[in-house]
Amino acid sequence: MASKEATVYIVDCGSTMGERSNGRQQTNHDWAMEYIWDKLTSTVANGRKTALAGVVGLRTDGTENLMDGEEDYAHITVLQELGQLLMPQLRKLREELVVSSTEAGDAISALVIAIQMIVATCKKLQYQRRIVLLTDARSAMQADDLGNITAKLKEDNIDLVVLGVDFDDADYGYKEESKDATKAENEAALNQLCEDCNGVFGTLAQAVDELGIPRVKPVKPVPSYRSMLTLGNPEEYETALAIDIERYPKTMRASAQSASKFVIRSDMAAGEATQSTQTMGNGEEAEGAAPNGTNDGLAAVKTARTYLVNDEDAPGGKKDVDRDELSKGYEYGRTAVHISESDQNVTLYETKPGFDIIGFVDKNQYERYLDMSRSNLIVTQRGNEKASMALSSLIHALYELESYAVARFVRKEMTEPRIVVLAPNIEPDFECLYDLELPFAEDVRGYRFPPLDRVVTVSGKILKVHRNLPNEELLDAMSELVDSMDLSTLGEEGGEYAVPDETYSPMLHRIAQVIKHRAIHPNEAPPAPYEILTRFSRPPDNLIAKTQRELDRVIKAADVKKVPPKARARRYGRGKEAPKPLSDLDVGALLALDPKRGGGKLKRKIDPQNAIPEFKQLVQRAEDLPDLQDACGQLGAVIEDWVRFSVGDSGYGRAVEGLRVMREEMGEMEEAGAYNDVVKGLREKVLGGALGGERALFWYKVRVGRLGLLLGSECEGGAGEEEGREFLRAK
Amino acid sequence: MSESSNYGHGEEDDDDEEEVADEAGYKTSKDAVLFAIDVSESMLTKPEDSNPKKRDTMLSPTVAALKCAYALMQQRIISNPNDMMGILLFGTEKSKFQAGDAETGRGGLQYPHCYLLTDLDVPAAADVKQLRSLVEDDDEAADLLVASKEEVSMANVLFCANQIFTTKAPNFSSRRLFLVTDNDYPHASSRDARNSAAVRAKDLYDLGVTIELFPISHPDRGYTFDRSKFYNDIVYSATPSDPDAPMPLTVDIKPASSTAKDGISLLQSLLSSVASRSAPRRALVNNLPFEIGPGLKISVKCFILFKRQEPKRTSYIYLPPDSDKPQIAVGSSTLVADDTARSVEKVEVRRAYKFGGETISFTVEELAKIKHFGDPVLRIIGFKPMSMLPIWANLKPLTFCYPSEEEFIGSTRVFSALHQKLLKDKKMALAWYIPRKNATPALAAIIPGAESRSEEGEQQVPPGLWIKPLPFADDIRQAPDINLVTAPDPLTDAMRVIVQQLQLPKAIYDPRKYPNPSLQWFYRILQALALEEDLPEAAEDKTLPRWKQIHKRAGGYVVGWGEVLDEQFREWQRGHEKHIKPTANGAAKRTKAEPASSGGGAGAKKVKAEDGGEGVTDADMRDAYAKDALSKSLVADLKAWLVGKGLKGVGKKAELVDAVTKYFETKMDVD
Repeated sequence: MASKEATVYIVDCGSTMGERSNGRQQTNHDWAMEYIWDKLTSTVANGRKTALAGVVGLRTDGTENLMDGEEDYAHITVLQELGQLLMPQLRKLREELVVSSTEAGDAISALVIAIQMIVATCKKLQYQRRIVLLTDARSAMQADDLGNITAKLKEDNIDLVVLGVDFDDADYGYKEESKDATKAENEAALNQLCEDCNGVFGTLAQAVDELGIPRVKPVKPVPSYRSMLTLGNPEEYETALAIDIERYPKTMRASAQSASKFVIRSDMAAGEATQSTQTMGNGEEAEGAAPNGTNDGLAAVKTARTYLVNDEDAPGGKKDVDRDELSKGYEYGRTAVHISESDQNVTLYETKPGFDIIGFVDKNQYERYLDMSRSNLIVTQRGNEKASMALSSLIHALYELESYAVARFVRKEMTEPRIVVLAPNIEPDFECLYDLELPFAEDVRGYRFPPLDRVVTVSGKILKVHRNLPNEELLDAMSELVDSMDLSTLGEEGGEYAVPDETYSPMLHRIAQVIKHRAIHPNEAPPAPYEILTRFSRPPDNLIAKTQRELDRVIKAADVKKVPPKARARRYGRGKEAPKPLSDLDVGALLALDPKRGGGKLKRKIDPQNAIPEFKQLVQRAEDLPDLQDACGQLGAVIEDWVRFSVGDSGYGRAVEGLRVMREEMGEMEEAGAYNDVVKGLREKVLGGALGGERALFWYKVRVGRLGLLLGSECEGGAGEEEGREFLRAK
Repeated sequence: MSESSNYGHGEEDDDDEEEVADEAGYKTSKDAVLFAIDVSESMLTKPEDSNPKKRDTMLSPTVAALKCAYALMQQRIISNPNDMMGILLFGTEKSKFQAGDAETGRGGLQYPHCYLLTDLDVPAAADVKQLRSLVEDDDEAADLLVASKEEVSMANVLFCANQIFTTKAPNFSSRRLFLVTDNDYPHASSRDARNSAAVRAKDLYDLGVTIELFPISHPDRGYTFDRSKFYNDIVYSATPSDPDAPMPLTVDIKPASSTAKDGISLLQSLLSSVASRSAPRRALVNNLPFEIGPGLKISVKCFILFKRQEPKRTSYIYLPPDSDKPQIAVGSSTLVADDTARSVEKVEVRRAYKFGGETISFTVEELAKIKHFGDPVLRIIGFKPMSMLPIWANLKPLTFCYPSEEEFIGSTRVFSALHQKLLKDKKMALAWYIPRKNATPALAAIIPGAESRSEEGEQQVPPGLWIKPLPFADDIRQAPDINLVTAPDPLTDAMRVIVQQLQLPKAIYDPRKYPNPSLQWFYRILQALALEEDLPEAAEDKTLPRWKQIHKRAGGYVVGWGEVLDEQFREWQRGHEKHIKPTANGAAKRTKAEPASSGGGAGAKKVKAEDGGEGVTDADMRDAYAKDALSKSLVADLKAWLVGKGLKGVGKKAELVDAVTKYFETKMDVD
């Protein structure tokens, strides 16, 4: 749980902010707003009621604040009191935060107002208090009272951030030429103020630049387990060792915000809804139109589940049952096993929480591919010095022996035991054990692959030279390339490049970026992703340049060739090349002799019972296009029968497989037409109800199987993309 | 066909992307295995020199094959619950084909001496039972397992299998016929009959069915199975005829011997042959472009070699009022609009993000563009030494990848060169990784894995590269504050001895030795319920540490370590004599010294939490409980304490107080 926070933004709206300074395309105000909107939308995005924000307009045309009677406080408007920001407030601010026509208004007075706002809201409660002042410092300031302000800021523990348009900043490396005198004076005063109250003083350019650097949401560490780490069994043996520990998450996937499903509300015409999803511009009037509290014309989509069971008496053999009529159980194969409410626990393996060391393994022999899970860290409870010392001895012993521990871990009663590896970690002021789950026997899949450094041939020979093995030149070139593309000193100040701390989840921050952008700019296209999000999608530029020679050498030695799509196309009459059994027996010749299969004549009937093999054999022996068309026509007729005589969906599987085979074979033969003609005819009959009535489910299966027309992109003479899409539609 | 046929890689896909369902194409990635078991006089003969003490060695080859099928069926219900299996006996006196033959006109007469024992389907409890009674009940076996007097036509057997696959598993990506026989030369006198069989075998091949031959030899009768007589015309190899081509991934199975000379029974050797074939290899990603440098692209296939097997989730079961046969209720979801409850078509659905109490929406095209970070690729951006890969940098199981020549010729040699280099120099590659279209991009370490083989020469871990998606800064949690007391050298020395005493065999973790006890228990119970057997009493749990051994080998050293700890800690306390520690509420408290050892003598060295610091100790909580003052505790403390006890730490304060109260009511006697 993050702490409560209260931030007041003071935004300079003076007429000078409407200028375009120092060759920028944007006005100074628009530029400043990039920063302000980013901050405000970030606050909205985190959705916390305890993250309060307020906005004060400085040098506004009007005046509206607690002290608006006094002349010193003129042209200062409290646009947003401290509170949780939501979309309506953002919309309102968007209307109000515009360049004014005045130059008057004192930044220091605005500070005082901001301080008052914070004091009034936060009182003495636990808050992180902050004021952000964004100004071009071009209007007169009463800087003689700064001592009091400093004292007040310190007293109330308020952080001050001052950002200026084109302020000089030696650290960032910016200096404005021919600065006007008032601004120079104000800058100096504000800088002094920040120094006095330990605030931050910076130039806007840097702040805007840094918007691209994502902020990582801190999560307060919460222990997921708190008990003993044991070696031996304290209940049975007096020689057991037990240390009080706590376990915290170390890595945990932070996912991008997920989109919810909506539909246009039924009381809205489609056009209206589209309009009003983007209501930022029309502000007030849209708000009234939302009876459900959302004014975007969308209704949430929910999932309703229905349950079907077999019932011989019901039409179609199935009937709907209500959730209440069902009870819980399991599937054992295709058998339902009912387990009554009271027996629910019978399948649970009885365990007690514990963290029990099984033994120790050699770190250097530990294979990293065994890592199964996210990681956790194990420390002792704060304040338990003796446990800390005890755990430390284990950590140091493991470290010195280059060993890891393997332990059995049960998080809480009746949960599954897991086996974890424990690795020591020693830092100057921090020590812990990291744990990661290891696989069980059932988690290992016994797939086998041939060796990569030698080839064992069909005839049993072991080869060291083979087209699948690298030669000396390739090995050497690869070795050189790998060495030259080293990242270990390529980072900042000669450190490691792309350490986890510097890499940000592209999807998470990309989604956050576009949501924030759209909230403020509803009618603009989403902006390009920040550079940092795609920085690691390719090797660093300087590395590419540096290693081109090594890379060229590998490319030459490797001689990799893309398989041309044409090479896969087959030719007619390749019956002789047809796959043969291990003995090389010419089965094709046997087939040709088989009287049941046409006895040598090519034109023969496909047996519906053996349709797919016989179709393939016809294709293998085809001499010309008419042969192929004949084969496809015959299989097409069989497929139609499968659909026509299908009871329910009983024949669909076969029919879909038949189509798939035909499509694949014709694709390989580069004869799109032969397949397309058949499937077109089939579609007409299916949708026309000519194949035994309603067959929508069959067409659905064709569609999800992507068994529509062969497309031009797949093979010669195929259909166009649009035609292909249209073809799969059910209507 | 089962209703829940999942298209493509659905079940393998543990990424939480909102992927479009029909992304994956059509073939169901499921496996159908049909056992065809020869029932001949010779297959029914028990080995002569068998050892009567070992029941396994007394089995006739047919029964051994049935036992093997039985074991596989039980195992696949657990590991591949959607896959199909069937058993066809051939050469039997009796004949039987699929139920409902009458109406389709395919009577049992069509396939004489073929007996379809279990039709190809997802197995049901009844199938398991039937099979079990056949292998365990000799009478039943004697009735069915009678060899036919006339020779069964192999062409017919193969066509029968063809029909079973065609009707029951028409669109399975993997369909396999496991043929178990000891007859290497059927139809010895009829060339025509053999040729017909070859033709039917070609039909099966064209249908997409692979024949796996499990040949049996009889050394006791001086008989060795010879494939070249007949079966080489039946079995097709996946590899081209080039003699220098690499050996296929699965090698031919060596004839199993019907006698138990070397202590391995026929059953065992069949089981291990079948096990090596039982899981069809499925690629997670086919032909992923692997870019080693700009302009150097090869292709790889990705596989899941480690995946956490979880117990099945509960299903909804329907108990019909008029029958005692429970049914699985098949659920289906429809989308409905929240406002009017009308059902909604998929095309109507829009995606919108909740923001500031409202929604922010994008068009489908915009969203696709926003989420698009480029096409699927594994692109190396550079290399680092393996030592720069912190142990904690992990989020989920790794993906294995292996070269494929399908897109780029030469992929294997380039991959091999890279693999050898990385292994030799203990380096890893850092790569930008988009496994599938529109998948969330990740930064991954590519680490080399060496081939490992068992002592018998069986490959245990294949050679290849492993893709390990690394955590981003966003995925790394901050560490808690601790007060570190570093162990003095004598204490570390004492611990070192303990560690050295308790090395696991070969100092490695071998997952094969540790079955998941919860999973095993779950399926034993489920099986017992399904087959209406008695529930097992206790489970075997190989994950439990061997306490007795630990006591024997390291007990003395632990006691020694405990003494050093007491001594060193006293010394440390003296060094920190003025150690006054302010607690959270500002009060100062002197930390108490732990009693030298609890339980007196060389008691268990429990190091208990002390007062102070953050968090609430058991003592505090028990105090509060005793004084009936739990409701004065902070919610956060209650929650943390409950979680620490492995209890549920959620709910309103009153609920939390209840939970704590309940804990003490039952646990008063504990320490």
